[in-house]
Amino acid sequence: MSLAAEAFVSQLAAAEPWPENATLYQPLKEDQILLSDHASSLAVQAYLRMCGLPVQVLCRVNSEFMSPSGKIPFIHVGNQVVSELGPIVQFTKAKGHSLSDGLDDVQRAEMKAYMELVNNMLLTAELYIQWCDDATAAEISRPRYSSPYSWPLSKILAYQKQWEVRRKMNAIGWGGKTLQQVYEDVSQCCQALSQRLGMQPYFFNKQPTELDALVFGHLFTILTTRLTSSELAERVKSYSNLLSFCRRIEQTYFEDKSS
Amino acid sequence: MGTVHARSLDPLPMQGPELGIQADDIEAPEVEQEPKQEVLENKNVVVQRVHIDGLGRTKEDLLTYEIAEVFRANNLIDVMRKSHEARQKLLRLGIFRKVEVNIDTSRGEDALPNGLDVTFEVTELRRMTGSYNTMVGNNEGSMVLGLRLPNVFGRAEKLTFQFSYGTKETSYGLSFFKPQPGHFERNVSFNMYKVTGQFPWSSLRETDRGVSAELSFPMWKTNQTLKWEGVWRELGCLGQNASFAIRNESGHSLKSSLSHAMVVDTRNSSILPRKGGLLKIHQELAGYTGGDARFLKEDFEIQLNKTLYWDSVLSASLWGGLLLPFGDAPTCIADRFYLGGPTSIRGFSMYSMGPQSDGDYLGGEAYWAGGLHLYTPLPFRPGRGGFGDLFRTHFFLNAGNLCNLHYGEGPQAHLKKLAECIRWSYGLGIVLRLGNIARLELNYCIPMGVQSGDRICDGIQFGAGIRFL
Repeated sequence: MSLAAEAFVSQLAAAEPWPENATLYQPLKEDQILLSDHASSLAVQAYLRMCGLPVQVLCRVNSEFMSPSGKIPFIHVGNQVVSELGPIVQFTKAKGHSLSDGLDDVQRAEMKAYMELVNNMLLTAELYIQWCDDATAAEISRPRYSSPYSWPLSKILAYQKQWEVRRKMNAIGWGGKTLQQVYEDVSQCCQALSQRLGMQPYFFNKQPTELDALVFGHLFTILTTRLTSSELAERVKSYSNLLSFCRRIEQTYFEDKSS
Repeated sequence: MGTVHARSLDPLPMQGPELGIQADDIEAPEVEQEPKQEVLENKNVVVQRVHIDGLGRTKEDLLTYEIAEVFRANNLIDVMRKSHEARQKLLRLGIFRKVEVNIDTSRGEDALPNGLDVTFEVTELRRMTGSYNTMVGNNEGSMVLGLRLPNVFGRAEKLTFQFSYGTKETSYGLSFFKPQPGHFERNVSFNMYKVTGQFPWSSLRETDRGVSAELSFPMWKTNQTLKWEGVWRELGCLGQNASFAIRNESGHSLKSSLSHAMVVDTRNSSILPRKGGLLKIHQELAGYTGGDARFLKEDFEIQLNKTLYWDSVLSASLWGGLLLPFGDAPTCIADRFYLGGPTSIRGFSMYSMGPQSDGDYLGGEAYWAGGLHLYTPLPFRPGRGGFGDLFRTHFFLNAGNLCNLHYGEGPQAHLKKLAECIRWSYGLGIVLRLGNIARLELNYCIPMGVQSGDRICDGIQFGAGIRFL
């Protein structure tokens, strides 16, 4: 968001406390949602639970088109609609809830850097595997994406989304990569995260931050989503501290909900 | 006997606005009766040959139907009348620029003493005509390219293509029209289109891509149309301030529907008629031929006109409609009815009546609207016989209602709902007629019965359009 828009949202947000009826919108869980969207949605849900803010998850077929930026998830709080983790963190900060207040400037910069790493590596790899790998696209991504619509609209929308993602991959230089190279990139990213985490419970020792929520969202989804091949999950599993990290967050924040 | 020429009349406007005296107001030309020609009226003649000169790509078998009647004439006046009718029929095919009729005595070896030859001299339209316009409006500029191919395969088929490329939106349409040879009123047409629309009263943006096939035929006094349409609709918010109810409607849907329309039109003109009536009934069933949208939609339009003393006309009209969804899914905003504005209930802002959320109007599932008008010539009749005849003053009374229905309560509850909280308005204004297609109005309106949430436009209101209540 631009600086002016951020300031405007902060002004508006600061005025009211967090309401009881805040809702989070994502595509249908059973039939429609894809790996990358589920990861992003889970990251936001984890973040809000860590802040102690109640939110109800609603599944809508057209949530991708309802979102103001076109990306999942988005939250509807009072009169405002905010999408994606970054703006949502800003929005909650304006309302007085923040997880990263205890960090100093160096740590905050480090946190931002790692969040960029996850977004540029893990999220892009997920998109690549879903849409640029022909087997996965044909067996999983296209059927799931088009499941709520009738023929021929289902075919048109699925191919349109696939072309859009492939164009984006070409634009950022991932178009020429092979699947093995993408798996290697994922491994490297996990190694960097694993090294940073070490033996600590959270990335910044005692308290979880938005980085923890983001990493949890992506890794947990990768571990629990069935794809055409389980190699992605295997690569993540090879880092045991990341596994225990995911299990810890799940038990602490998600135990009351049956996932 | 000399040559009798039936000169061609002023070229009839085929389409497009054209100011001037309209053909509907002219009676068929009377033939002058000279004393010498009284003899001719009683003299039997036989039409031996009918030629059509000037054909290029038009196939002859198409035209034999149109000129067949001329052979049946048996006196000179009859020949002239039937030739004039045949000329009208040839012109309405839309493939000739000009048709002239030439009636002469028969020449040649097998010529009878009372035989006549009728020749139609036609000029075909060019194979392809194009037009190019630029349009500027509402923060948007666009260029519009139009191509028309009349008489593509020789039997009055017409292919039109229109393409509009704008700074914000692009739209196009391709249409193929084929009449049945010999029965021009029975025709079939195929369309393919993409149109985009922006509706600021609902903060909604809609893009429709669709194909349709339409069959049209007359039956007794009515004109029936059967149509199948498949449309991919994409809805989005117009601006960041759209209400959440509109945001909820964003996304894609597919509508595949069958519709039927019946029109009975006995008016002498579609704009500012002086007499006659109109009945139009339209129903649409969506969902049984595929697609996501499932509903039954009915709407009707009735209009009656009567000329009173001193050149004034009293006109009454009634519109109504109902949208019934099937299954549990709610109706889509793109299918609902809207009411209000200078073309329906005057005195209210455009489509700004009925159910709304945060200032965005959502439309309704049932509506009715009625209007009573008195049209009079301008006071003091300036410019009489010329430009001034295009203007009329009118006094009007409009009323209507638009609401959603909660099904399961029965028809009594629905009727009661529509009869509560009626909005109505009255006033007077000036109407300008644009050719045979459109009209402009400038009115002074007083809206009444305004419900909370409606947006009104009291005082001076300007309207332009094709279909007015």
